[in-house]
Amino acid sequence: MNLQTPLLKADDLSKRYEDGVLALDHLNLTVPAGEVYCLLGANGAGKTTTINLFLNFIPPTTGTCYIRGIDVTKDPLEAKKHVAFVSENVMLYGNFTARQNLEFFAKLGGKTALTKEACYQVMRRVSLQEKAFEQRVKTFSKGMRQKLGISIAIIKDAPAILLDEPTSGLDPKAAEEFLEILHELRGEGRAILMSTHDIFRAKEIGDRVGIMKEGRLVLERSRDELRTEDLVKIYIDYMKSEPLIA
Amino acid sequence: MFKTIVRKELLENLFSYRFPLFALICVVLIPLSLFINNAQYSKRLRDYSEQVRLSDEASSGLKMQDVMSGRVAMKGFRPPAPLSIFAQGFENALPRYYQFSQDGATTGESSSGDESLLSTQGKFDFIFLVQMVISLIGLLFASDAISGEKESGTLRAMLSNRLPRDSVLIGKLAGGAVSLWVPFLAAIVLGLLLLLVGSFPLFAGDNLGRIAVLTAFAGLFILIYFVIGMAISASTAKTRVSLISILLVWTGFQLVIPKLSDMTAALVHPIRTETQVALEKSLLANTIDTEAAKELGRQYDLIFAGAKPGTADDANSPERKKWDPLRDELQLQTREKKAQQMAAIDETYEQQRRRQHNLAVDLSLISPSAAFGRVVADVCGTGDLARTKYREAVRSHHKALDNELFSKVKRTIMMHPGGRTTMAISAQPVDPKKLPKFSIASASLGEAFKTNIRSLAALLFWLIVPFAAAYIRFRKYDVR
Repeated sequence: MNLQTPLLKADDLSKRYEDGVLALDHLNLTVPAGEVYCLLGANGAGKTTTINLFLNFIPPTTGTCYIRGIDVTKDPLEAKKHVAFVSENVMLYGNFTARQNLEFFAKLGGKTALTKEACYQVMRRVSLQEKAFEQRVKTFSKGMRQKLGISIAIIKDAPAILLDEPTSGLDPKAAEEFLEILHELRGEGRAILMSTHDIFRAKEIGDRVGIMKEGRLVLERSRDELRTEDLVKIYIDYMKSEPLIA
Repeated sequence: MFKTIVRKELLENLFSYRFPLFALICVVLIPLSLFINNAQYSKRLRDYSEQVRLSDEASSGLKMQDVMSGRVAMKGFRPPAPLSIFAQGFENALPRYYQFSQDGATTGESSSGDESLLSTQGKFDFIFLVQMVISLIGLLFASDAISGEKESGTLRAMLSNRLPRDSVLIGKLAGGAVSLWVPFLAAIVLGLLLLLVGSFPLFAGDNLGRIAVLTAFAGLFILIYFVIGMAISASTAKTRVSLISILLVWTGFQLVIPKLSDMTAALVHPIRTETQVALEKSLLANTIDTEAAKELGRQYDLIFAGAKPGTADDANSPERKKWDPLRDELQLQTREKKAQQMAAIDETYEQQRRRQHNLAVDLSLISPSAAFGRVVADVCGTGDLARTKYREAVRSHHKALDNELFSKVKRTIMMHPGGRTTMAISAQPVDPKKLPKFSIASASLGEAFKTNIRSLAALLFWLIVPFAAAYIRFRKYDVR
């Protein structure tokens, strides 16, 4: 792989659903290694559709998604080898313990020979309490589930990570802990695409922030640019502005 | 990947409330049904042995004058089928015996007269449990296989990995099947141990082999319902919708189609009842006998007209030498004519019955449950095949008795032109010990399969088509 190749790339990506709704309109974005890209936008702006397209859960109407240079539509299984996914409501098996969930998803991610200690280490890294390791997940709080979700993403050791509103519903402490983990992952050179409503955390963690409205990426700012601009004001102005399609 | 999914499915089922509930149902109900039905079988076997003993005693002291007077009833008893403890089928509905006379075979009473009204809704046996209880559980196990994982979001989590969708589907199928089969097989093993304790002839004949075959079919049947459940689950986005669809499908397959198929066949190809056929045969026999009696009377009067008194009793008189062969010839003709016309009635009735039956079978094959029930009842010797074999045995035994016993009694009834009726009875001696014994040839497993080729094809259809449907639906399934 060329070092310049972005790990995540959306190329002229559009999605029109069967009911005629245009959820994504010619999106172009790239996320290189060691960068956190935050997608901001209201509900229905196209953030989750973008992630679903990267995961090949839905086919694009036009355009292409690339993960590590691999066309997601053409070779979805190979592309998914290089990406981990954490959703807003981390999807886990409630009757399994944290370790059993971790082991199961790790095996799906290709990590077949995992020791119990290796699982514990990853869970320790995300600050999950030791006593929770062998507890059934159905007793977990949202914050604990989120930590376990990110540990599943870590253990997969994928170079790209997709996060769909991961801090939604988390208390401030849990959200802070979550951001710390993201910092670490960025430091390890992972490309992270995060959709979020949370402007403050997007500004705090994002190397670049994109604002989406009605399926379009209407604005993109780098961390340096945001030092001199008020992201909150920009975002609110966009949200208040006239619809893009009359 | 496949093994990982199977293991996950097994663990998930094991940790759910459904698995222990299902295991409990299997482990309690299957051995219980076998235990109860074995006790009933033992009772029927004792009754049968006693009835055969009494009948043999009566036959060994057989006197020709009793046969001539019709005081002795020759009976053929049907032994209870050992594997009726698994599938009662026609076991209690078929006559316990047939009674044979010169005029034919008449049915004896059946065991169903002893049953309660509730038992008409389905006998509590292994097949009932598999068809009604375990099939439903199989469907419920699969109800959330796909839609449930979609609702909980775990399907997205799984498929965000390098995991082919067919691995998920086949893994779920294998995991679900093993989760259902293990408690089911454990319950059967427990039931067989109970049968051994209850002196059931488990190792007699091919009983064990047949039990293995019916267990395999039951396993296949459970799998079919699981696959149907998966197809439904893969066609719905919500478990609630999946559950409602499953209940509708189950009701149709279990309760509506099998019953409706018999009723529809009866409407399309109506046939007479066995009583009506017996009445027709009786009337026909009466007519032929009357015609023969009139002809015999006419010929007798012609030959013996003007003969001295006592000529008819003198076997060496020229009139007797003329009369005896003529009488024998007329009686033979009458017997042959009667046999021929009776056989024609039987054949016509059998053809009509077969046509109606075939239509009912074809219609019922819309339901895998009906196909399964037919195959397994025949494997257990209590299905259509056993009924056919019983009827064949009755016909064959009557023919044998006719040759060995009834034909030895000559009853000559003459209706003379003047209106006078006379009757003469003569009999040749018969050795009761040499009389044929009633026996029913049991149908082999090969025959059971051959007879049920359409049912077997229907079972395969119900395995392959829902799986193909689940596969196609799941490939396009919206996991969001």
